[in-house]
Amino acid sequence: MPDQDVHLSDQEMLLAADGELSTRRAAQVRAHLVSCWGCRGRMGEIEGTIAAFARTHRQTLDPQLPSISGPHALLQSRLAELASKQEVTSWRRFLNLISVRRPAVFIGAAVFIVAVASSFLVHHSTPRGPDSVAAAFEPDVLPDRSLTPGATRRGTAVSDVCSMAHEEVVAEVSTSLRQEVFRRYGIMNAQAGDYEIDYLIAPGLGGVEAIGNLWPEPYTSRTWNAHVKDDLEERLHEMVCDGDLDLSAAQRDIATDWIAAYKKYFRTDRPLGLHSHVGTVSFLSFGGANPMSRQGA
Amino acid sequence: MSSLDSIGELLFPTLADAAFSAKPSEIEREVMELYEHFRDPLLRYALSLGIPLHDAEEVIQEVFLSLFRHLQLRRSRANLRGWLFRVTHNLGLKQLYANQRLDAKTISDGTIAKEQSDPSPNPEEELSSAQRRHRLIAVVRALPEADQCCLVLRAEGLRYREIAAVLGMSLGAVSISLTRSLARLLRADGR
Repeated sequence: MPDQDVHLSDQEMLLAADGELSTRRAAQVRAHLVSCWGCRGRMGEIEGTIAAFARTHRQTLDPQLPSISGPHALLQSRLAELASKQEVTSWRRFLNLISVRRPAVFIGAAVFIVAVASSFLVHHSTPRGPDSVAAAFEPDVLPDRSLTPGATRRGTAVSDVCSMAHEEVVAEVSTSLRQEVFRRYGIMNAQAGDYEIDYLIAPGLGGVEAIGNLWPEPYTSRTWNAHVKDDLEERLHEMVCDGDLDLSAAQRDIATDWIAAYKKYFRTDRPLGLHSHVGTVSFLSFGGANPMSRQGA
Repeated sequence: MSSLDSIGELLFPTLADAAFSAKPSEIEREVMELYEHFRDPLLRYALSLGIPLHDAEEVIQEVFLSLFRHLQLRRSRANLRGWLFRVTHNLGLKQLYANQRLDAKTISDGTIAKEQSDPSPNPEEELSSAQRRHRLIAVVRALPEADQCCLVLRAEGLRYREIAAVLGMSLGAVSISLTRSLARLLRADGR
């Protein structure tokens, strides 16, 4: 049976250094090391080599690690996408459940949903008082989410979006809808060129011409203006069509906070001042390739 | 806020394909926190398995998407660090086999060349330390794969029990493997 007078093997010293011995044996080893110069010297060598290896390991690999910010944003959007897909699935499951045997119940439920939704829209179509208008324009470069939550064509496929003609992508909003948008946002005397009645989710990303997807976006803002948002739309369209970004993630990000989306996808804190194609800034530049298309390879 | 507002909020996600349920859940936040903490150690481990950087980064993304599903299904939360390294190991090897067409030698030569051109980030380091570093790297590369994995996992702070679980080895085998690697490192270190 080993005790504190017997010299230690390298394995035992390593176990001791790593804190992997039982309390009793660890105490014996400590006592032996105190009394034995030979083993203490060997222990020092072992620890020196361990330290050298640990340092080498970090110094070799750490310079190769890219910044975490790009992959961090990518993971965050993938998680959100995963979570939203699961939400839809559970809703579909619920709707399937009630429609399996009783189609009438499903139709009834659908009618109810449409009825409540339209009363919601009617409710919000009434002009707002000056106070709420001021509140809506507090950060006037973002739409009021209660008036403009964004709306998409159901079941839009990436291929639909990417095969769109240019005219459809930059579709003009009809005059009556424009007036309705101004009225809802309480803007009475808009000058031509002050605002763009913009799609929150651009047609090029599956957005529709509906009152819930339109808002008066100021051209006059110095930093985050309509031109900057156009750049973002073009960028997202490009990424979706290149397969670098999921369409639903693009829709969600631009509808939630388009400025945050701009910062995320251009990897910048301020507008780049480019109103054209930005080919060199790649969201996935840490890899150079498109990881989404590699899935399942 | 009127009751209609809240009904609208409840309904809207289903009407627009749930595109706007942007608020991250508790689990999403937890996964992101763990990512911030473990991305670098896991990426180092994946790289030391010999996976190219862009594939390694993608492997880590997959690991955390799996973690999200794992936590959503309310599976075990005991030792998530060990879980993360185990899944990284398994997905990493899968990726490595998928990359088998690549000439493994080209990759490792490339890495060594990069290491040699790396200026030492530590100002206290002497030229002899750089030589020592290269000797150690050479020894590690010559170790059997399982021994390399043990050594790197230990360097990332895993306990023997965790290493055993990640690699599917016994506790004794981990200890023997680490001792064997240490002996070679000591020899290369002139000890």
